[in-house]
Amino acid sequence: MLSTRRRPLAVAAGGIAVLLAAACSPGGDAQAGRTGGSAQTLTIAIPTDPTSLDPCDSQAADGVGTLRRNVTESLTDVDPGTGKVVPLLALSWRQENPTTWTFKLRPGVKFQDGTAFDAKAAAFNIKRTMQPDLGCLNLGNIPDPFTATAVDTTTLRVVTKGPDPILPLRIGWVDMVSPKTSMTAKTSHPVGTGPYTFVRRTPGTDMRFKRFDGYWGSKPQAREVRYVFRSEASVRAATAKTGEADIAVPIALQDATEDERTRSYTQSRVFFLRLDTDKPPLNDLRVRQAIGYAIDKKNIVTALMGRTGKPTDQMVAPTVNGYVTGYKGPAHDPAKAKALIGQAKSAGVDTGRRIELISRNTLFPGSSDVLQAIIQNLKDVGLDIKLTELDDNAYKDKIHATNSSGQPVSMMAVSHDNAFADASFSFPKYLSSSGTVSTIRDARLDSLLRQADVAAGGKRAQLYQRAARWAYERNGAIVPIAEQFSLLLLSKGVDYKPNGLTGIELPAAQVKLGR
Amino acid sequence: MLIFLSRRLVSSVIALVGVVVVVFFLGRLTGSPAHLYLPQGASQEMADNFNRTHGFNDPLWQQFIRFVGDVAHLDFGTSIWQQRPALTAVTSVFPQTLLLAVVAMTLSIAVAAVLGCLAAARRFGPVDKLITFGSLACASIPDFWFALVGVLFLAVHLGVVPTSGQSDLSSWILPVATLMLAPVGVLTQVVRGAMIEALGSGYVQSARARGLAHRRLVYRHALRNAALPIISVAGDRAAGLVNGAVIVGTVFAWPGIGTVMVDAVLNRDFAVIQAGVFVIGLGIVLLNVLVDLTYAVADPRVRVS
Repeated sequence: MLSTRRRPLAVAAGGIAVLLAAACSPGGDAQAGRTGGSAQTLTIAIPTDPTSLDPCDSQAADGVGTLRRNVTESLTDVDPGTGKVVPLLALSWRQENPTTWTFKLRPGVKFQDGTAFDAKAAAFNIKRTMQPDLGCLNLGNIPDPFTATAVDTTTLRVVTKGPDPILPLRIGWVDMVSPKTSMTAKTSHPVGTGPYTFVRRTPGTDMRFKRFDGYWGSKPQAREVRYVFRSEASVRAATAKTGEADIAVPIALQDATEDERTRSYTQSRVFFLRLDTDKPPLNDLRVRQAIGYAIDKKNIVTALMGRTGKPTDQMVAPTVNGYVTGYKGPAHDPAKAKALIGQAKSAGVDTGRRIELISRNTLFPGSSDVLQAIIQNLKDVGLDIKLTELDDNAYKDKIHATNSSGQPVSMMAVSHDNAFADASFSFPKYLSSSGTVSTIRDARLDSLLRQADVAAGGKRAQLYQRAARWAYERNGAIVPIAEQFSLLLLSKGVDYKPNGLTGIELPAAQVKLGR
Repeated sequence: MLIFLSRRLVSSVIALVGVVVVVFFLGRLTGSPAHLYLPQGASQEMADNFNRTHGFNDPLWQQFIRFVGDVAHLDFGTSIWQQRPALTAVTSVFPQTLLLAVVAMTLSIAVAAVLGCLAAARRFGPVDKLITFGSLACASIPDFWFALVGVLFLAVHLGVVPTSGQSDLSSWILPVATLMLAPVGVLTQVVRGAMIEALGSGYVQSARARGLAHRRLVYRHALRNAALPIISVAGDRAAGLVNGAVIVGTVFAWPGIGTVMVDAVLNRDFAVIQAGVFVIGLGIVLLNVLVDLTYAVADPRVRVS
């Protein structure tokens, strides 16, 4: 028996032993090692836990695709090299009439739960995604829901409300899940047809996939895929530098390495300002144009965004069909900006009224510095600007408030991507009178956008470009600043070539592990 | 003592209920999270349906009454983001935070006790000055800065610890060191001050005159008498480890309540925020009871009074 004097020591020793034993017990990251896991595991460090695991929310990838092309697939995909729609679960498609399309589906495909993928399953998924009660985020890219019926096992008929020449592209936003998935509730355990089966997500820690042996295509190299969530940008980059992760995506400019392990990619993303148009002083075209002249985007972007930005005069990237080749917007000219503001003031516009520049703290790495520089430019020409940074939810509330009655006059800092490279995913939202985030009310622009929406090929591109030019020159409510590029960091011995789709899908099968 | 503890428990529970109620109303002030979970361009009908499903369209007082009724059964609702009971989402990670806090606090008290005693026993000497300088530096360094520099130096440059996550024992070094930083700094100063006072008291002089060994005098007699202020400050710092858990969760991706709470706030997941606040509050109430009990163990006069 221990003496009274020795008992506290024994208790303390016992406590430490228990703690150490507990410390050594497997926790959330039990298999995290110094070398990115085993030769069979691909580890990818990403910023956040996905908000939703339902494939019908895959649009909310927050710059990093996880489920698409890994766990789930859609009928069509886009070739990132050419921008053309290519077959995936659909082998071919044909437009029967302006509102009816027929898709021939790939035979012999199975979902990871063993259910056969056929036309009925495809119709189930289209119905599931389209129903408003489920609130699928991908509906944001499908303004007019369509219906589908199974003609036979491998033939699917899709009917749209009006002519939709880019339906084969748009239908790529319907990620296929097993018909055993609930029709009325979102799933947190997605089952698709992709090369990997979803295993589990440990909130705040990681998410795991394992290779699906019944996959219809060629087998990917990695047997397992593990996403680890690292919200701190420098730590995320450090995981790839030390080999704990094979890929860290995205990384901040200051964490980039000088060698080829840091890869840059575009998401056809552009940073621009969206101005209110219904309250002074921004209801005056001269003041809106003056803002375009006042911002020294070349110097700001070069100095503060480095290789992650390129000054632009348009709200879409050159990959998008609404990009006007050769168009030049207002060049930096503070004197002209002051003159325009002076003219507006003489005409009775209250140019001294405070304008809120609203942003969100996750807009892009270093966005606060860029916005401060923009504010300084605007103050230099006599405008009173105040920066307000909000969280995502409050920001989304504000960006949807396109009629600023009851709100202070404002301009929103926007970072908008268009990975599928069709202007219909950008212009109707931001430029049309009925656009969900548009402050523009212009009948001529509406007419051009309506015509473009039902046109195809070169005519479609031409009409979108005319609409864009009209909006830039005649309205001035969109002030483009920079085309944006993202960076990712590869661990030693890992190879992956990012492309325009990396932001929404990063197929593990495209990553080569050198071990 | 039992009556005292009961009173403390009752007042703590009232405070806990107050905090949960305040968090309920503050959370609702931020509005519905519909836009976060619905597609861009969602119709008003979709937003209404979302709000109806999650009970956000009812008047606030109705939401509150329903919330109180559910909480009485320990039902905080379902997490919109994690799609599982909010209390499960919190309690599944709380043990990780608790374990980390216990390890960090135990080591902090041990290190601070030794350093504080050394400094007090060699008052105004070089050792005391070194310890005082070091402890003030520890108390002053921002923990997030220390954490990031630690990752850069120990993980990236030296490669002796992993950058983040929870794996083997080495993965505990940086999170524990980050959590220990401020408590060690503050507690060392408290121990030093209390020990200087205790070592100068009559009973210590008397024991020293009777020839008691220096080490036994310092660590067995004086330290025990200096324990009360140390326990008070240690209890306060232990409650403050919740803040540290957020830093550790964010920088080191430590799977704990800090990460879950930050994600819940970003995802406007009211149910998880409320459950998290409740669990943390309950933990702090129990910690305070533990501190009271420790007082009684350390000083028999507390038991009598």
